[in-house]
Amino acid sequence: MNRTGSLYVTGSSLFHRLDGAVKLVLFMAWTVMTYMFLDLRVFVPMLAVGIVLLITAGIPFKRMAFLFWLMIIFTVLNAIFILLITPTFGTRLTGTDTPVIPVGYNTINAETLFYVLTLSAKYLTLLPISILCIFTTQPSAFASSLNRIGIPYKIAYAVSIALRYIPDLTEEFRSTLNSMQARGMGISKEDGSIKQRLRNLAAVVVPVLQSALHRIDSVTNAMELRGFGTQKKRSWYSGKDMEPMDWTFAVLALVLLGVGIWLKVAMLKGFWYPFS
Amino acid sequence: MKKSIFQLNTRTVVTIGIGAALYGATSFIGIPVGPDTSLRPAIALLAIFGALFGPVVGFIAGLIGHVLNDVLTSGTVWWGWALGSGITAAFMGLIYVSKGFDPQNGAYKGKHIGLFIFYGIVGIILSLLFSGWFDIAFMGEPSDKLVVQVTAASISNIIVFLVLGVPAVIGFARRNAKVSNLSVNE
Repeated sequence: MNRTGSLYVTGSSLFHRLDGAVKLVLFMAWTVMTYMFLDLRVFVPMLAVGIVLLITAGIPFKRMAFLFWLMIIFTVLNAIFILLITPTFGTRLTGTDTPVIPVGYNTINAETLFYVLTLSAKYLTLLPISILCIFTTQPSAFASSLNRIGIPYKIAYAVSIALRYIPDLTEEFRSTLNSMQARGMGISKEDGSIKQRLRNLAAVVVPVLQSALHRIDSVTNAMELRGFGTQKKRSWYSGKDMEPMDWTFAVLALVLLGVGIWLKVAMLKGFWYPFS
Repeated sequence: MKKSIFQLNTRTVVTIGIGAALYGATSFIGIPVGPDTSLRPAIALLAIFGALFGPVVGFIAGLIGHVLNDVLTSGTVWWGWALGSGITAAFMGLIYVSKGFDPQNGAYKGKHIGLFIFYGIVGIILSLLFSGWFDIAFMGEPSDKLVVQVTAASISNIIVFLVLGVPAVIGFARRNAKVSNLSVNE
């Protein structure tokens, strides 16, 4: 993570050149598409397209590997969690029951295993498009794109302030935590009972909050002095006009979303299970 | 001085931004108490920002903070839980609207603390129920698993709210009361 709190990687791929607002539209269409279905036949093609797009964007794999690992760890843990708590959930969706793995109090059935596979694919499908957006959009361009898709510029600016200050505040929180730890007031397991650790946590939160409030004051003053918020609209340093390619992609995203809704309504209504 | 809660001036914009950054920056830290559950100080920050700046600022800061944190640490936005953070903060911020409560100037009464605790607990439970419902409806997660998750998260969030959030707000109000405890001598 660099100073601006973003994971932006410079480049000149198609996705780098695409307008931020269009990327946001794509991102939203993709998310809604994924949310609508519980069908492996939808997720596999989407995942494939996503990976192809990722490869063409030319983001070094090293930079985004940690997100993949986090996602995989999360999905696996989530799958185990589901299998242990509701070993026969799949039956509720398909109506059939094919016992496979006995776990003592119940038996995990094939339907649930397939359901967990579908759900994991669903989570993974969400990943490529958000990686594309995060790694190819400049944080300053991001605020102007938010503004372009209709979010009031003050909110967009708040997002940009948040992005700017996340690294600073993380740093500050860490150092406060460390200095408290040095005084024997840490929050890890060795520092005493849960009650004591919570009390120590309180001792960290208060100074961090105080300094955040001071920061609010100084940033507010700086912005007031520069006349922030006096006009109904504002322009952006990194704002660009929409080009034909941007419009093409925006329309494409909406068409895909339309096709998705039609598919959902007409054909792929519920959970897809091929073996029943 | 209190202003309308829907008016966005420079100060509220900055507060939303810094509040979101603070929530995002502290979201990763916590004392783990169970699977997928930890006591996160971030919840206390939502309470503080809600009580000091109102429900609208709280909601937007909670939502933005959660979304940015999700994006930067996991690459995927969990919209249900992000909206949940916003709703929690909005409920905690309801106290800001009640008459006579003004922690910035140290004005608060016993009944405000009672109300604050009530709003906070209701907000935490409602918002987590919402997040759970969102996951069932849009992600297709099994409901039994979410009952476990929502219960665990509610309990740990309520603990943090009561142990960290409420005392921090009271402490903040007291501290400000001392400073303004002067009278004009004519």
